[in-house]
Amino acid sequence: MVNPVLLIVVPLGFAFLIPILSLLSKKIAKYIPPIPLCFNIVVSLLLLPRALENPVVVSIGGWQPGFSINLVAGPVGILLSAIVAFVGLLVSIYAVDYIREGATDRYHMLFLLLLTGATGVVLTGDIFNLFVFFEILCISSYALVAYAGDKAGIESAVKYLIQGAVGSSLLLIGIGLLYGLFGTLNMADIAKALQSPTSLPVFVPMALIISGLGVEAAMFPLNGWLPDAHSSAPSPVSAILSGIAIEVGLYAIARVVFTIFGLSIDSTSNFLMFLAVLGILTLLVGEMCALGQNNIKRMLAYSSIGQMGLILFALAMASSYAVAGGLFQLVSHTLAKALLFLTVGYMTYRTHSLDISALAGIGKRMPITSLAFTIGAFSLIGLPPFAGFPSKLLIVRAALATKECLFFVLIGGALLGTVIEAAYFFRVVQVLYFKDGNTNIARKQVPAVALIPIVIFVILIVGIGIYPKFITGLLNSAAAELLNRVDYIRNVLG
Amino acid sequence: MTFLENYVFYVGAFGLVLIGLFTILVKRNLIKAIVGLAILDTGVNLFLISVGYLARGTAPIYTRAEQGAQPMVDPVPQALVLTAIVIGVAVLALALALAIRLYRHYGTLDLRKITEQRW
Repeated sequence: MVNPVLLIVVPLGFAFLIPILSLLSKKIAKYIPPIPLCFNIVVSLLLLPRALENPVVVSIGGWQPGFSINLVAGPVGILLSAIVAFVGLLVSIYAVDYIREGATDRYHMLFLLLLTGATGVVLTGDIFNLFVFFEILCISSYALVAYAGDKAGIESAVKYLIQGAVGSSLLLIGIGLLYGLFGTLNMADIAKALQSPTSLPVFVPMALIISGLGVEAAMFPLNGWLPDAHSSAPSPVSAILSGIAIEVGLYAIARVVFTIFGLSIDSTSNFLMFLAVLGILTLLVGEMCALGQNNIKRMLAYSSIGQMGLILFALAMASSYAVAGGLFQLVSHTLAKALLFLTVGYMTYRTHSLDISALAGIGKRMPITSLAFTIGAFSLIGLPPFAGFPSKLLIVRAALATKECLFFVLIGGALLGTVIEAAYFFRVVQVLYFKDGNTNIARKQVPAVALIPIVIFVILIVGIGIYPKFITGLLNSAAAELLNRVDYIRNVLG
Repeated sequence: MTFLENYVFYVGAFGLVLIGLFTILVKRNLIKAIVGLAILDTGVNLFLISVGYLARGTAPIYTRAEQGAQPMVDPVPQALVLTAIVIGVAVLALALALAIRLYRHYGTLDLRKITEQRW
């Protein structure tokens, strides 16, 4: 009998073990994060068959659900916790060699805390608990953005912190209002008591919670911090922030909208339409800004904004098809964006510049890394043999299946965004391979420890792209769980 | 005036929230913005406490069996506020630490002059 609590407890325990162990030896810290993350992958995979049948509900302290804090490990929770652990593991292996300067033990501790927070958010069934894990995630990411301690890092961390703290306050006000209305913090209990999402006393906390979470999820008017923070952080941190942190924010929005407030597209409220429009707006703004960038990490950060918009749009269509497509896009974006940031980390390390033009000729100097970058970029654009293609296809098909005029228009916007995305990624690939550049750069591959995660990401992207059925079954049941509010309430409250 | 009498805690709490937001949005000095953050936090905490408040209620702790039923305040928001205060302290401490580092890099805390990163 494996308990989902272990998924949170073990990384948390190891995180606090790191500073103690590094008193003995400074070198030991970097080898610790992979251990609990390996453990998390194993536990997630063990829980998966049971979670697919029926969500595993654990009440902490043995109290009845409704009085206790509970964890709900359904298909969505287990899918996301497995992805968090998996991407975290690969990035932590990469960081063994990449993070050399500064207080490395603190870096590894914060890294584990960030992943603990992310796992907690996706598993919890209590809205205040969600806030607490969200804060663990946010505070450790503020600190990690500032890790390098340089001018850009500190400035972006300050911006990120102030915007994030205001967002968290809004979220907490929303939670307080919900508690005042329903006298409970359990998500299933609130959902049971909540009848109509359109009445004003319910709408106000919903708007507050969504705008609070939207800061972290990079929704359009709230994402001013993202390009700075993601481009100034050290590359493994950018990979985790772009690959996990913002996705977790988006998951929290979906959970709140679908489970607690029970919004659906045919209800009298057209709030989901509003979210869909916001998603496409986010997509277009992100891609347009990415097109004009000369700094490669900034370009990737804006591209993350664009992808978040696409996922938000897919989730807001609220059909099981579309939500499965959105989750698929989330998975493929996580893999591709983490891969891109990891490869760019070593490319810019060699060229000593973040300019795209400085990358000229790197394709011949670092062939494997450049190939990996190209594959990641093609997957994000949505070219056929890679993971981004089936996910984008699923979203387009879902949009056409809705028979809703607005979604037809919006999916046109999404395709326009894809064209822009292709434009700037092809430009970088062209610079990599077809421009003669600085020949002084040593013809040297990345170290083997960093090459392993890069190769695994490439294999997964190509594997999922060629055989999407590998994952679609899980995604469909995850989408069904996210949309089926009645079953969620029944499972939790019994 | 009965509205104010009945809802004085809510008025105060949202007043503090708005003052905090105003300070963060308008003030150009980073330290002042951080003070605004602290005021915002206080407002949110006061709001949470007033959700569970009961006039003339006592602390929800049974000490004697013969105490019997009497009005008690809701203990859950108090537990929430305790957590929220701890989180707020952590965020403020981190913000001030970053402000010190920012001052070392730029020699100023004026946010108008710190514009290296822009869209």
